[in-house]
Amino acid sequence: MSTKLSEIITSTLRLPPASITDTLTMSEVENWDSLQHMDLIASLEQAYGVEFTFDEIISMQSVGEIKRVLRSKGADI
Amino acid sequence: MDIRGKRIIVTGGVRGLGRAMVEALLAKGATVTVFDVNASGMAELIDSHPEVNCIECDVSSYGSVVEAAANYHAKNKSADILINNAGILYSAPLAKISMTGIEKHDADMWNKVLATNLSSVFYMTECVVEKMIVSRTKGVIVNISSVSASGNMGQSAYSAAKAGVNALTVTWSKELGTMGIRVIAVAPGFTETESTKEAMGEMLLQETIKRVPLRRLGRPDEIAQGVISVIENDFFNGKIYELDGGLVI
Repeated sequence: MSTKLSEIITSTLRLPPASITDTLTMSEVENWDSLQHMDLIASLEQAYGVEFTFDEIISMQSVGEIKRVLRSKGADI
Repeated sequence: MDIRGKRIIVTGGVRGLGRAMVEALLAKGATVTVFDVNASGMAELIDSHPEVNCIECDVSSYGSVVEAAANYHAKNKSADILINNAGILYSAPLAKISMTGIEKHDADMWNKVLATNLSSVFYMTECVVEKMIVSRTKGVIVNISSVSASGNMGQSAYSAAKAGVNALTVTWSKELGTMGIRVIAVAPGFTETESTKEAMGEMLLQETIKRVPLRRLGRPDEIAQGVISVIENDFFNGKIYELDGGLVI
C-alpha cells in the first residue's frame, strides 16, 4: 500500500500505521463511524482527484475495498 | 455557485420574503419550485410566473413533506439548492399581566410556531439532502432565520424556533461539508412584509423602526439579494448572514 493512502487512512481514523491491513473493516474500528467515513471519502477524493458514486461510498467499508475502488478509477495506489 | 440553471426549492414562496426570493432567483435563470400550503396563492404565482413549479405542502407536517418531496424527486434527481423560508410570525410573552390575572403563553401556539418554523426545516432538509447525497450533488441549504434568534422580548416561541434554526445551520454545515453541501442561514431584521405589519401593528412597528440605526425596515428585495450573495459565494458556510440594518435586539 502506498504511503499516501496509508497516511490518509491513519490520520483520518486516528489509527497506528501497523493496524492498516486490507482486511480491516469499518465495523472493527470505533472511530470509523458514518461521519468519519465521509471525512475519509472527502480526503481520498481530494488526494486522488476522483469522485466516488454513492454506491462506491457505501461499498468502501474495508481497506481492501477502498483500494479496489481507487484502482478501478485509475488511481496510483 | 452560478445560480443559472440550478434547481431550487423555496418553501413558503407565495408571498412576502419568499416571493421576493422566487422572483430574484427566476431573474438569475434558476428553475424554481415552490412548496407552499397556500393553494390559491400558488395559482396566482403561476399566473404571474408560468415558469414556476408549485407543489402543495404543509411543511409543518412530516407526512406532507415526505409526500411533496417524493413528488418533486419523481421529476428531479435532486435539488441543487433548498431555501427553508416558510414560517409564521407570532408574538406573545411567556406571561402577560392583565386586569383578570396572569395570561400564559398559549401552549398550542408554542407547538405550532415550533412546528412551522423549526421542525419544517428539519423535515425539508432531511428529505432533500438524502437525494443530494445519493446523487453526489454539491448543493446549498439556506435557512431563513431572524434577528429574533438572539432572544426578542415578546416572542418566546418565534425566538426559540429561530435560535434552533441557527443551531441546525451550524451543525449541518459540519456534517455535510465533506459532501460538498454548504449550509447557511440568512437572518433578516424587520422587513416591509404583510406578515410583519399584521404581527406587530403600526405603533410597535414605528417604535421598532426607531431602534434600527438605518431608521427603516428592510425591503424584501434586499433580503433576496442577501440570499443570492451567500449562495454565490462558495466559501460561505456554517454562518448566519445578518441583514438587519444594524439593529441589535
